[in-house]
Amino acid sequence: MAHQAHAYHMVDPSPWPLTGAIAALLMTSGLAIWFHFHSTTLMTLGLILLLLTMYQWWRDIIREGTFQGHHTPPVQKGLRYGMILFITSEVFFFLGFFWAFYHSSLAPTPELGGCWPPTGITPLDPFEVPLLNTAVLLASGVTVTWAHHSIMEGERKQAIQSLALTILLGLYFTALQAMEYYEAPFTIADGVYGSTFFVATGFHGLHVIIGSTFLAVCLLRQIQYHFTSEHHFGFEAAAWYWHFVDVVWLFLYVSIYWWGS
Amino acid sequence: YINTRVLRGLQSGLSSDRLWSFSSTASVAARSYSHGKQETDEEFDARWVTYFNKPDIDAWELRKGMNTLIGYDLVPEPKILEAALRACRRLNDLASAIRILEAVKDKSGPHKEIYPYVLQELRPTLSELGIPTPEELGIDKA
Repeated sequence: MAHQAHAYHMVDPSPWPLTGAIAALLMTSGLAIWFHFHSTTLMTLGLILLLLTMYQWWRDIIREGTFQGHHTPPVQKGLRYGMILFITSEVFFFLGFFWAFYHSSLAPTPELGGCWPPTGITPLDPFEVPLLNTAVLLASGVTVTWAHHSIMEGERKQAIQSLALTILLGLYFTALQAMEYYEAPFTIADGVYGSTFFVATGFHGLHVIIGSTFLAVCLLRQIQYHFTSEHHFGFEAAAWYWHFVDVVWLFLYVSIYWWGS
Repeated sequence: YINTRVLRGLQSGLSSDRLWSFSSTASVAARSYSHGKQETDEEFDARWVTYFNKPDIDAWELRKGMNTLIGYDLVPEPKILEAALRACRRLNDLASAIRILEAVKDKSGPHKEIYPYVLQELRPTLSELGIPTPEELGIDKA
């Protein structure tokens, strides 16, 4: 039987990149169809295909790594680079929205009354729910670190508990933010204040949901004995992503909620 | 900038020229640091006049400059305000020019004699540039 004379992973042919590309096409053209012809069918089809693609592609990666042993040290190194580069690209994504916020708030136009917050806007009190949200995310950063150490030390029960607690904190943040969105005295349509506020915090909230989902997958995998004390990169990637989400929140809190009020 | 020492001069002076006198080289920084070179009043004023006198100042820089200036704990000197008003003229921004006058009145707080004094100093510039005051437009009352 032939075997490879190198430590790298030559991935078997897979249909998921194609289905993912098709999903992207259906979602984007579906968006245009929705705008012009009021039908959400195409976009919904694209969304379902995207979810199926993600589920099956990542399931295959878990099979290749955890069960088939393809994730040798150099392969894992590549995965680490990949995650770092991806998070870096997300940093730049958020930088754009911070640029928009500072451009608008450092030099508020006459239409806003030449002041920030603009005339007529009552910003949220930064020392109420937003401060609680900050504490929640900071605490979740502690619990995810606790989970990591538990995994490295072979403490199965503690790993499960701390990871579950991290996810609960993430859900608590999401619930609090949802309530804040509902109760806010201003909307996304309220000038550039509303736009910058809801687009920046909205994309952050989406990333919290993504991060919580990633951590939940890790919890299921931890329960099913996928991780070893030496090798648990999926968890590390989720933890990096979670810390990134926390740091973005800190910048949002200081810039938009606190300075911007 | 006009600080409380000037105010005392304003309150006691009655003639229209030389309303105040103070030692012109007082060293007061625009920001209160515990160490480092302190900027004199004249240096502060000159810096801001230079900022607004930039020939190709853009609209963003004008608004940023005004917001920063108004954030300080002081009322800007008429010469700074004049430079800002001329920048408004170069940028065809009448709204901001009038807003500057409103900001001076607001920054004066309880010292009600500052605003009429500043308007008096700026009168030639306001006439030259055709800038009405909020009072003349009737928008000073809510």
